[in-house]
Amino acid sequence: MSGLDALLPYAFVVPLLPAIAFVVIGLAGTRLKALEWGGWIAVACAGAAMVLGVLIAVAEMLGPGQYVDRSFVWFQLPAGSSSIFPQGFALVMGTLVDPLSALMLIVVTVVGFLVLLYSIGYMHHDRGLPRYYAELSLFLTSMIGLVLADNLLEFFLFWELVGVCSYFLIGFYYERPAAASAAKEAFLVTRIGDVLFLLGIFLYFAAYALVGPGGGWAASGFKFTNGDQPFLGALVGQAQSPMLTIAGLMMLAGAAGKSAQFPLDVWLPDAMEGPTTVSALIHAATMVAAGVYLLAVVAVFIGFTPDDQLAIVAIGGFTTFYAATMAVVHTDIKRVIAYSTVSQLGYMVLAVGAGFAMVGLYHLFTHAFFKALLFLAAGSVIHAVGTQEMFRMGGLGRTMRVTSVAFLIGGIALSGILPIGGFWSKDDVLAVVVNAAGSHPLYWPFAILAFGAVFLTAYYIFRAWFLTFSGDRPRDATLPAAHEGPWVMQVPLVVLSGLAIGGALLVFVPSFASLLHVPAGGGGVPPVFSTADALVSAVSVGLGVAGFGLAYVLWGNGRVFALPASSPAQGVRTVLLRRYYVKDAFDAVGLRGMYGLSRAADFVDRFVLDGAVRGMERLFAATSDRLRRLQSGVVSDYAAYVVTGLVGLLLLVLFIGPYLVGAIGGG
Amino acid sequence: MTELALVDVLALSAVLLGVGLFGILTRRNFILLLIAIEVAMNAAILNFVAFAAFGGTPAAVSGQAIAVVLVGLAATEVAVGLAIVLALNRLRGSINVAEAVQLRL
Repeated sequence: MSGLDALLPYAFVVPLLPAIAFVVIGLAGTRLKALEWGGWIAVACAGAAMVLGVLIAVAEMLGPGQYVDRSFVWFQLPAGSSSIFPQGFALVMGTLVDPLSALMLIVVTVVGFLVLLYSIGYMHHDRGLPRYYAELSLFLTSMIGLVLADNLLEFFLFWELVGVCSYFLIGFYYERPAAASAAKEAFLVTRIGDVLFLLGIFLYFAAYALVGPGGGWAASGFKFTNGDQPFLGALVGQAQSPMLTIAGLMMLAGAAGKSAQFPLDVWLPDAMEGPTTVSALIHAATMVAAGVYLLAVVAVFIGFTPDDQLAIVAIGGFTTFYAATMAVVHTDIKRVIAYSTVSQLGYMVLAVGAGFAMVGLYHLFTHAFFKALLFLAAGSVIHAVGTQEMFRMGGLGRTMRVTSVAFLIGGIALSGILPIGGFWSKDDVLAVVVNAAGSHPLYWPFAILAFGAVFLTAYYIFRAWFLTFSGDRPRDATLPAAHEGPWVMQVPLVVLSGLAIGGALLVFVPSFASLLHVPAGGGGVPPVFSTADALVSAVSVGLGVAGFGLAYVLWGNGRVFALPASSPAQGVRTVLLRRYYVKDAFDAVGLRGMYGLSRAADFVDRFVLDGAVRGMERLFAATSDRLRRLQSGVVSDYAAYVVTGLVGLLLLVLFIGPYLVGAIGGG
Repeated sequence: MTELALVDVLALSAVLLGVGLFGILTRRNFILLLIAIEVAMNAAILNFVAFAAFGGTPAAVSGQAIAVVLVGLAATEVAVGLAIVLALNRLRGSINVAEAVQLRL
């Protein structure tokens, strides 16, 4: 083992570094004007986190398969002290470095650092920068914490922190109604998943906390590992109880919310209202990665039942195609990339569902770099021309060469054309899915959808590239003359281009490749390249090239392809532009349903609760109004009351009194 | 002519009390009200005298003595009452108790 191993127990320092930036910038705020309102502090802390994070990840990668768990018990009930948890109960905070988290650690810290660096240039003219950098640092802290969490409860804690940070950042321009409502939408839609995720955690607790194969899980603090073995790892794929299936589906729902899978995908394209840097971070390294990572962690450490796996494959496979079709028609450059993220996340979910969590994360890893690259390139374009509408752009390749090349590299990586980036990982995903479909025929439809999405992906991303960069001049002559951004914006583009090209070559590191094709729960190691894989590669590259060709024919060299108004495809186009009416359906349920419910609640509030209160009030008012009249102020009236009372007392004593005494049995 | 019995005197006392109460409850003129109070009070004094006359020896003297004290008390009460009547008349220009409902200045 290398000397780097000594670093592994200190993984907890990594999330603390951006946390320092969060506290310092959050407290000092506007006094940090000389440091770009704290931007350089955030960049420095993220840079330190990146160095440490990458070193830790490398240490883990060189000694694969080891679990380094460092935790402290926050709160403990010893065995026998509680009737609910006879074996005891513990809340644990800790860090777990394993192959999954090592890979994620690289993604989160590297992309986080580059996005922060790029922000210095991109956000230069914005107001509220201390808030921006503080929130972005907290976002990074939460995501690193989530990646390193060593138990489900801690995972959920950071999961929620990631959610709230995304809410803050998507709504960064909160004075714009669209941004404020997009932030709320992101928060509420992911919240649906979060609630189900929490229910799933409860179900796992019910299943494993006391009885069953993991008996006593509560006593160990719900940790993912049991010593140096995955918790329940050996049982993955064998458990068949309905409760575990439901718990797995709840995990899928949580992941679908965070990772924008059908039908909880509506928030991600709307989240484009945030700054482009935030979009890049959300789409590449944080937030949406959390959902896939959750699925991977559950698959490896807790285990899905075969029914769950089918559901995951179905959701993932369908989403790849569904989102890619929407990306085909949209004309907002950021929206196209956003749909592409949803689609690519589908591939990752697909791979995890097929039983190869590491392959899903490998695609997440390569995707993070080329997606961040695409977003930052798009941000560079938006920074230069001040619009996101691709039909107004064109010919920008002449003035923005760095951005143009960077976007092209990102596009090639995204469409999985040899030999750049995405080819290796997307091919791996397709290969393992085809492999799994061999023994599970029900996977086939979703594998075919995933192949279809390869063609669409290449088409829509090159359509975007041609619309933006090719041609002689912008189609809209009123656009300002485009120019490249400052060096802080160009450096991340160059670095990310390098990573998009080279990051995927991680697969050629033997110790990583040996982990890649281990199905969750252990088992055989298929060879990295086989003839079946070669066929898969040929088909997928062929589809990618075909998509590129179609895009070139329709949109190349500044051409604009207009669908004839009489074409029957116009109907399809409308459906796609309206996003399959999923959002409309949500609105219908959300608005009408909630409105009806609110009306009912309003009725109950107004007439039942308030009615009771007002009824009491009226009762007392009426009673006192009548009693008030007794107090007339006329002395003879009072005399009459005195006499009446006296006579009443006399009657009581003389007639009723003896009767009472007799009834009680006294004297 | 029959002998005067305790019950006859008590009956007279009850009648006096009834007349007095009737006056107290119905009269609105303050002076008539004071007179009615006097009548009712005398019913009580008459009871003391009657029990002293017909009752046992030890109580005899004390009953008569209390009657004398009560007569004095009634006189002072009337004096105070008439003073209130004068004040009321000066303030409101009327001695109708139904008009003096505020029970303050």
